[in-house]
Amino acid sequence: MNATSSQPFALQGLDLSRVYGGFRALDGVAISVPKGEVRGIIGPNGAGKSTLMDVLSGRAASWGGTVRLGGRDIGALSPRERRQAGLARSFQKTNVFAELTIDEQIRLAARSVEIDNSAEVLDKLELTALRSRLAADISYGDRRRLDLALALVGRPQVLLLDEPAAGLTVEESLAMARLLRDLALEWQVTVLLVEHDMEVVFGISNRITVLHLGKVLAEGTPDEIRSNPVVVSAYLGSSVE
Amino acid sequence: MLIHVLNGLVYGGLLYLVAVGLVLIFGLRQVVNFAHGSLFMLGAYVAYATIAIAGFWIGLLAAAIVLALLGLLLDRTVFRQLQDQDPIVTVLVTFGLLLVLEDFVRTVWGRDNLTVAVPQLLQGTVDIAGASFPIYRLFVIAAAAVIGAGLTIWLKTSRVGLYVRAFAADPVTTGMQGVDTERVSASVVAVGAGLAGLSGAIASPLLALSPAMGGSILIESFIVVVVGGFGSFSGAFVAALVIGQLQNFGIVFVPSIASMVPFLLMMAILIYRPEGLAGKAS
Amino acid sequence: MTSLPEKLIGAAAPRPLDAQRSKLPLLLALVVAVGGCVFPFVVTSTLTLSLLTQALIGAMLATGVGFLVRQNGMVSFGHALFYGLGGYILGVLVSRGIVPIELALILAIVVPTVLAFVLGLVITRIPGVAFGMLTLACAQAFYELALKVRGLANGDDGLAVTFPARIFGVPVSLLQDPHSMFVICWVVLMIALGSLWLLMRSHYGLLTFAIKANEERARFIGYETLVPRAAIYAISALLAATAGVLATFYNAFISPDMLHWTLSGSALIMAIIGGTKAVWGPALGAVVFFFIKEIAGDATEHWPAVIGGILIVVTVFVPIGLSGLLVRVFSGRRA
Repeated sequence: MNATSSQPFALQGLDLSRVYGGFRALDGVAISVPKGEVRGIIGPNGAGKSTLMDVLSGRAASWGGTVRLGGRDIGALSPRERRQAGLARSFQKTNVFAELTIDEQIRLAARSVEIDNSAEVLDKLELTALRSRLAADISYGDRRRLDLALALVGRPQVLLLDEPAAGLTVEESLAMARLLRDLALEWQVTVLLVEHDMEVVFGISNRITVLHLGKVLAEGTPDEIRSNPVVVSAYLGSSVE
Repeated sequence: MLIHVLNGLVYGGLLYLVAVGLVLIFGLRQVVNFAHGSLFMLGAYVAYATIAIAGFWIGLLAAAIVLALLGLLLDRTVFRQLQDQDPIVTVLVTFGLLLVLEDFVRTVWGRDNLTVAVPQLLQGTVDIAGASFPIYRLFVIAAAAVIGAGLTIWLKTSRVGLYVRAFAADPVTTGMQGVDTERVSASVVAVGAGLAGLSGAIASPLLALSPAMGGSILIESFIVVVVGGFGSFSGAFVAALVIGQLQNFGIVFVPSIASMVPFLLMMAILIYRPEGLAGKAS
Repeated sequence: MTSLPEKLIGAAAPRPLDAQRSKLPLLLALVVAVGGCVFPFVVTSTLTLSLLTQALIGAMLATGVGFLVRQNGMVSFGHALFYGLGGYILGVLVSRGIVPIELALILAIVVPTVLAFVLGLVITRIPGVAFGMLTLACAQAFYELALKVRGLANGDDGLAVTFPARIFGVPVSLLQDPHSMFVICWVVLMIALGSLWLLMRSHYGLLTFAIKANEERARFIGYETLVPRAAIYAISALLAATAGVLATFYNAFISPDMLHWTLSGSALIMAIIGGTKAVWGPALGAVVFFFIKEIAGDATEHWPAVIGGILIVVTVFVPIGLSGLLVRVFSGRRA
C-alpha cells in the first residue's frame, strides 16, 4: 500500500489481474477510492470493467492481486462475507428474484445485514407502492431500481454498480444519475460506477478511471479525462465535446 | 489375470458405445435422454427377432437401422419440440417414454428372459495365457474398438462432427455463430440411438434379455457420463474402460459389493473433481 | 420518472385482498384434515382402506420429492434411497433386536435425514439434469447393496419383520390394521403438510425459495447458499424416510424393491401429476396415481405405459399439475 496516504481508502484494488483462456481481462490494475467518492469506470467493450467488478465483489473464481475494504484485506472473503463487511453490488443484467415480491426480497436482503433501512430504501427508490408486486410483473425501469435497492439495504460502505442505467431511457438514466448522486452525498456511500452512458458518468463522478485492454489508461477528474488526448484518441473520440 | 482384463474390456466397450450416445445428445442439446437405456434394450430385442429369421449379422444391422430411425423420430417429436423449455422437461418426457417402451417390449416379447445364441462363426474358445476365453467376447472387444474408432473419425472429420464438438465446448457461442442445431441434431440423435441399438444387439448373446435391462445399463452409462465429465467423448471413453475394469475386478475379488464400486468411484470423483475427469472448471 | 408516484397510487391495493383470500383455503384445509380422520368410519371396506393407506404412504414420499422441486428446483430420481433406508434401518434393527424398537424408529428417521444433509452438501451443488442422474445413481448403489449383501436382510428375498407387541406403549398391531393405520398415516401426513406450509412461509422458506430463483443474487445480498440447499434436501429425505418407516410397520416386510429406482420414479411422477407449486399437490398426485393404477391395472396390463403417457402429457401440457389447475379454478383466474 502507498505508505504516504494519510486516510485509508474505502476500497482499494492493487495489482489486480485475471486471465481466462490466455486472454488477460485484467492486467495489473490498481484503483484506490477514498470514502464518499463516486468513481466512474469507463472504457470500450472488453476493457475489463465488468471483470474488475467481479474481482472486487468476489464473483470471479480465479484472480490475482489484493482487494482492501476500509484497509482490511477482503481478498479471501466470499461474496456473502464481503456483503456483510459492507461491500454491495448491482448487476449489468438485471439480477433480482423474479418469483418473489419486492417486499419479500427487500426483507430477505435486510435480514442478512445489521442495519435495516429497507423502508427508507424503498422510499428513496420509489418502490414503496410496488411492494406487494412480483418482480416479474414490474416494468424494466422498476426492476433496475429494485436491483439497486437490493444492494443498498443495510447501508453498505461501498457500492459497486455495473451499468445501472443500461437499457433505460434518457429521462430514466438522468433520474437514476440524480438518485445516485443524492445517495452518495446523503449516506456517505462510496460508489464505483461502470457505465456506458457518458452523460451519467461525467455528470456524477468525482473522478474517473479509464480502462483499456485490462490496464488503467488514465485517471482524473471528469474535466481532466475529457481533455486527456490519450483517452480521447483511444476511446472517447469525438463523442464527448 | 489377462482374462479379467479382457472381460473388463468387453463390458467397458459396450458401456462406451451406449454412453457415447448420451454424450452426443447432451453435447448438442444439453439434455439427458432417460430413454437411452431403453434403446439399448430395444436393440437387443430387435436383434433377437431378426436373428430368428435372417441370421445374426442381419440382426445386428437391423437393430442399428431400426434404432437409428427411432432416434430420428425421437429427435423430431421430443427433443426438437421441447428445446426451448427447461432441460428437465425433456428428462421427464424421456422418463415417461422409458416406461412406455418397457411396457411395449413386455407386451410384444413377454416378461420372461430370452436368450440369443452366439453365431456359429464365433462359437468356441481360444487359449489366452493358459486360460480359455470365448471367441465371441473377443469379437465384442474388436467390434467396440472398430465402432468407437469409426465414431471418433466421424466426429473429427465430418461437418456434423465439427458442430457437435463445437457445441459441446461452447453451446452459446456456437449457436450465435449461426450453426444450425436443427440440421445436425437429426443425424446426431440418430447416430446415438443407432449405437445404443447396435450395442444392445452385440450384447444380446451375452445377456439374458429382459424388459428391465434398459434401466440398469442406463444407470451405468449415467455414471460413465458423470465420471467422464459431461459432454466429453474422451472422458467418457476413459470412464467406461475404468468402470469396466473396476466392475470386473470387483466381481472377482469383492463379489458382494462389486456392483457398488462404480457408484463409489462416481461419488469420489464428484467430491474431488466435480467437473468430471475430462471436464474443465467453469 | 417524475410521474411515477401518481402512476402507482392505484396499485397499492393487493395486500388486504390477499388476507381475505387466505381464510378460505385454511378453512378448507381444516375440513379436509378432520374429514380424513373420520373417513374409516364411513368407508369400512378393508380392501379400500388398505389401498388408501398405501396411497397415503406414497403421498408422504411424493410430498418429499415435490417439496424438493418447489424449494430447491431440483428433481430427484432417487428418493427411494431415503425411503428404503428408513425401512431397512427399522426392519433390520428390530429383527435383530439390536436396539429397543423406539430407538430403532428414531434412528430410521434421523440417519437418512443426516445422510441426506451430508450428501446434499456434495450433490446439491450440481445443477439440474446432472443432479437427477446423481440421485438416481446414489439410490441404485444402496439397492445393489441390499440386493447383494444377503447377510443384511436376505438380499433379493427380503425380510419379514417381527415387531415387539408395543412401541411407546402403543400396540404395534394398530400400525398393521388398515382401519387404524389409515388414520395414523393421515395424521402424520397432515402434520407434515402443515409443517411444510409453515416452513414455506418462514424466513428460511423464503430464503430457500429465493436461492432457487436466483442463487447468485442470494449470495450477493449476503447469504451462504449451500447449507440451505442441503437442508431442504434433508427435509425432503426426512419425509421419504418417514414414509419408508410407515410402510415397514404396515407391511412388516422389507425388500430391495423399497430402494429400487422405479419407486423413486413413481414418487416423482406422483409429484409431477399433482403439481409442486402447492405443498399439498404431490400428495394429491399420489392419491390420483394409486387410483389410476387400480383402475388401469384392472382394465389393462399396460398400466406402466398409461402412467408413462400421463407423465408425458402432464409435463408438456399441464406443467402446473392438478393442484395448479384446482387453484386456478378456485381463485377464478383465467388459465
